[in-house]
Amino acid sequence: MMLAINLLRRNWRSGELKLLGFSLLLAVSVLSGISIFTNRLETTLISESNSVLGADYIVRGSQPHNTEWPALAEKEDIRQTQAALFSSMVFAGDEMHLASVKAVDTDYPLRGKFEVSDVPFAINASDIKVANGIPAPGEAWVDSRLLPLLKIQLGDKVAVGEYDLNITHVLIREPDSASPFSMTGARLIMNMADLPKTHVVQPGSRVDYQWLIASDDNGKLKAFVDELKPQLSKHQRLIDIDSAQERVGRTLQTSRQFLLLSAVIAVLLAGVAIAITARQFSARHTDQVALMKSLGAGAVRIRTLYFSQLVLLGVIASLIGLVFGELLQRTVAVSLQQVYQIRLGDATFYPYGLSFFSGLLCLVFFALPALWYLPTVPPLKILRRELAVNMPQVWVQAALALFAVLTLVILFSRDLELALSISGALLAVIVVTILVAYGLLAVSKKMVLRLGGFWRLAFANLQRQRGQSLVQILVFAIAIMLLFTLTIVRTSLIEEWRVQVPDDAPNHFLVNIPPDELPQVQALLQKTKVRPEPIYPMMRARLTHINGVETTEDQRSAANALRRELNVTWSENLAADNKVLEGLWWDKWQRSANNLPGVSVETNTAKEIGLKIGDKLQFSFGGLLLDAEVASFRSLDWRSMRPNFFFIFEPGSLDTYSPTFITSIYLPPEQKSFINELLHDHPTILVMELDRIIEQIRTIVNQVSDGVLLVLWLTLIGGCLVLLAAVMGSIAARKQQAGLLRALGSPRQLIVGSICAEFAILGFLAGLIAIVGTEILLISLQKFVLDTAIQPHYIFWLISPLSGALFVSALGYICCRHVVTTPPAVVLREAA
Amino acid sequence: MSAVAMVQANSVTKQVSTQEGNLTILHPISISVLAGESLAITGASGSGKSTLLGILAGLDVPSSGEVILNGNNLSALDEEGRAKVRAGNVGFIFQSFQLLPGLTAHENVMLPLELRGDKLASSKAREFLERVGLNSRLHHYPQQLSGGEQQRVAIARAFASEPQVLFADEPTGNLDSATGARIIELLFELNRAQGTTLILITHEERLAQLCQRRIELAAGAIVSGRE
Repeated sequence: MMLAINLLRRNWRSGELKLLGFSLLLAVSVLSGISIFTNRLETTLISESNSVLGADYIVRGSQPHNTEWPALAEKEDIRQTQAALFSSMVFAGDEMHLASVKAVDTDYPLRGKFEVSDVPFAINASDIKVANGIPAPGEAWVDSRLLPLLKIQLGDKVAVGEYDLNITHVLIREPDSASPFSMTGARLIMNMADLPKTHVVQPGSRVDYQWLIASDDNGKLKAFVDELKPQLSKHQRLIDIDSAQERVGRTLQTSRQFLLLSAVIAVLLAGVAIAITARQFSARHTDQVALMKSLGAGAVRIRTLYFSQLVLLGVIASLIGLVFGELLQRTVAVSLQQVYQIRLGDATFYPYGLSFFSGLLCLVFFALPALWYLPTVPPLKILRRELAVNMPQVWVQAALALFAVLTLVILFSRDLELALSISGALLAVIVVTILVAYGLLAVSKKMVLRLGGFWRLAFANLQRQRGQSLVQILVFAIAIMLLFTLTIVRTSLIEEWRVQVPDDAPNHFLVNIPPDELPQVQALLQKTKVRPEPIYPMMRARLTHINGVETTEDQRSAANALRRELNVTWSENLAADNKVLEGLWWDKWQRSANNLPGVSVETNTAKEIGLKIGDKLQFSFGGLLLDAEVASFRSLDWRSMRPNFFFIFEPGSLDTYSPTFITSIYLPPEQKSFINELLHDHPTILVMELDRIIEQIRTIVNQVSDGVLLVLWLTLIGGCLVLLAAVMGSIAARKQQAGLLRALGSPRQLIVGSICAEFAILGFLAGLIAIVGTEILLISLQKFVLDTAIQPHYIFWLISPLSGALFVSALGYICCRHVVTTPPAVVLREAA
Repeated sequence: MSAVAMVQANSVTKQVSTQEGNLTILHPISISVLAGESLAITGASGSGKSTLLGILAGLDVPSSGEVILNGNNLSALDEEGRAKVRAGNVGFIFQSFQLLPGLTAHENVMLPLELRGDKLASSKAREFLERVGLNSRLHHYPQQLSGGEQQRVAIARAFASEPQVLFADEPTGNLDSATGARIIELLFELNRAQGTTLILITHEERLAQLCQRRIELAAGAIVSGRE
């Protein structure tokens, strides 16, 4: 062991191990930087988005929670509180409104804060303040719009049931405001202690009881939740951010996958750097091993010596890498905090452990194959240098690296599809590289004869070292591919998020517009220049029979749509965010022999119920029955903030039923008081305010986008260093040649030109192959992992080879430029 | 001089397969070198000198025949076994010095001692470097030394492990005649002092003359020998 330490020290001092050590250091630094940062970002995002929920988890149900749970939670240091939500008529003088009341207990919310104001419809930050706690007993905070509805002002009293509450603030923002569809009335927040005094909650009342829990100790919380799950009654559901908010949940899920992808790509880049430097190291050590063998060291001894050095190097570099990674992510976190005022949470131990372990794993998988052959170097090589050594074939190393990739990706993501996508694309790149590079190099052979000057020298060099050129193209191509993939994925993700919640996305739903008031409402909207989304007629109906058979209890328990009354509509046109997946839309659909009107069903609902095109459905519209035939299945985008329906009927088929109308509108904050005007003239209309949810989603999207950009930059730096390592590997040979050419009197222009041209050709070919790999990788990522639309990236077909040529030749120039300014004798001596 | 054979080759041959069929590099060769004896192997380029040296030193295996080195039948051992025999018995000096560029002169000499687990590696290496007159060059790297100095380091390395047999492959081949002469002088002086058996390959008549025995190879066979 002492000898291994001595050899490691000497090899390091002589520079032999520096490249390998730095690659590993880079790997662990970038990896730990990204994963610690990602981990912190994730905990921040989760806690930030959990503020949308008001907690980390909520047990929600029609009955109060088990009274023993709070004690159990407190024993585990888990914070807990409760809330009760219900609709209740609230009164002020002669005015009344069906308000959506939330009674909250001390400590509510566990995540996020109430924001209140003393100015109704406040939009100026100076008017808005973060509430300290909850309304005191006897007090209430209400939505601004409740004031005009009840014709009252701040400080007035409002009666909830039998108890009068004093309105002390208007509510601007609240956690868990994201359930607008169930609660359409204006919000009133009151203290839980006042609830019994109202006598509103009676046996049989419809109340949504919520028990909220949160903890900063994820492990404890998860364990507690796991224990809690079996104790839930059938009336209770456990809700976390993913299930509570599909929109936010999906954004988080996608960003998690992106960050994960970045970390994996960082590992891959580092792995490639390690593989290259290990190969260079082992090539340089062939003579040393032959000498040691001639001095009597056996293969086992050599293997032990080299592998011990490798492990020692791995441990030391990984530890230092962790320190660098920590510093790196701290720097990023501090700048994030300064620029965006985002305070990141603390990282868990997991990313540290994983990064350290991955560093060692990288070394074993990427470096070991290159060193494996060393003990087999024959001792006779010391006498006969020309003796061939069984260096492992590049493809063997590549195959092992591919296996390593698969292992590492699975280890990191526990996502087989991601692992297979990346490995598949890498395999494709390797195959394409070998085919294309051989082909192009063969073509270039003919070009050598036609070209003059440095191009000829450059092509001749590539020809002479065909194997090395191939490896370099492969390395460049993989690095470029990974970097482009990351850039494109990031761009398309952010675009998708922005499209998802555009600035003028509808932020208010107007529901229950009576048919006779519709023209006036439309005129009012036009007058105030508020552009409505399409207006839909809406009716309540229950699906009772399928193909003449009444729905069973089993079907009802499986499909939400069968358990309750649904909002249905008819429409001539297919909404922009709807897509017919099966069957035909009305313009092509023909009634069958039974002459039943057609109905288009949302695809997931159809799957849940088990419907087929042509099935006969019977609906009950408040007792009036209607038969219809399934004409099509539709996909729709619940994130579009527009009215969407599970069932859309053929136009004209619902003419005999009297509908109300629904639409969504975009109201900028300064026009918010329009609601006042609208409700004043049309008091039966229900307004659902989505602006708060949209605001929350947008904050989260912005945070994620910024985080993603920073992670991308870190990975880019990693990629550049890999390219540098690959260039550095061949620099000695190039220096020697340049020195020789210099000694023979070649002009500086020829030498610099040939070096730049050679790297430019390598970079160009690599860029070309990289874009093929990028498209393959993107297709599989988009199809299997990210679930986004597949599209070609034409511009990158141009950018990739050109930037490859430019960047790699610039790197080559930077590394080699001093050979023309240093005396040839020095260059030759160095190279030797 | 003891009458025990330190290195004995019995009907050693070497063939290699090429695209044109089997090529015989060494025809049956039998030689015996006594302990403390010095033997020069001479011959033109391609005559099989280096192949023979490699086989005698246990770096290579003969196609047929056997080699016995200090009582160990190398032909009966695998590479791991031969390495063990080399570790205790053999030292080398090469035409191209074969110093490790990343190690200082001192560390280069220490290496074989360290491989043997010698606790006194550092002081022994220092002592031998002093003996070859390089006590002021201990911490110099090979590229900072002249050719003659590098070969002296190689000699110190070869003798530091106190081998029974020293194999030298053209030890003066890369040196000018004046430096070569000094290296020869040093080599024989240390050889005498240590009582080492010396087998060397050389083109140089002067060097061959200094050895007690000499064989000349041509086309893989011994064409002349002198007792």
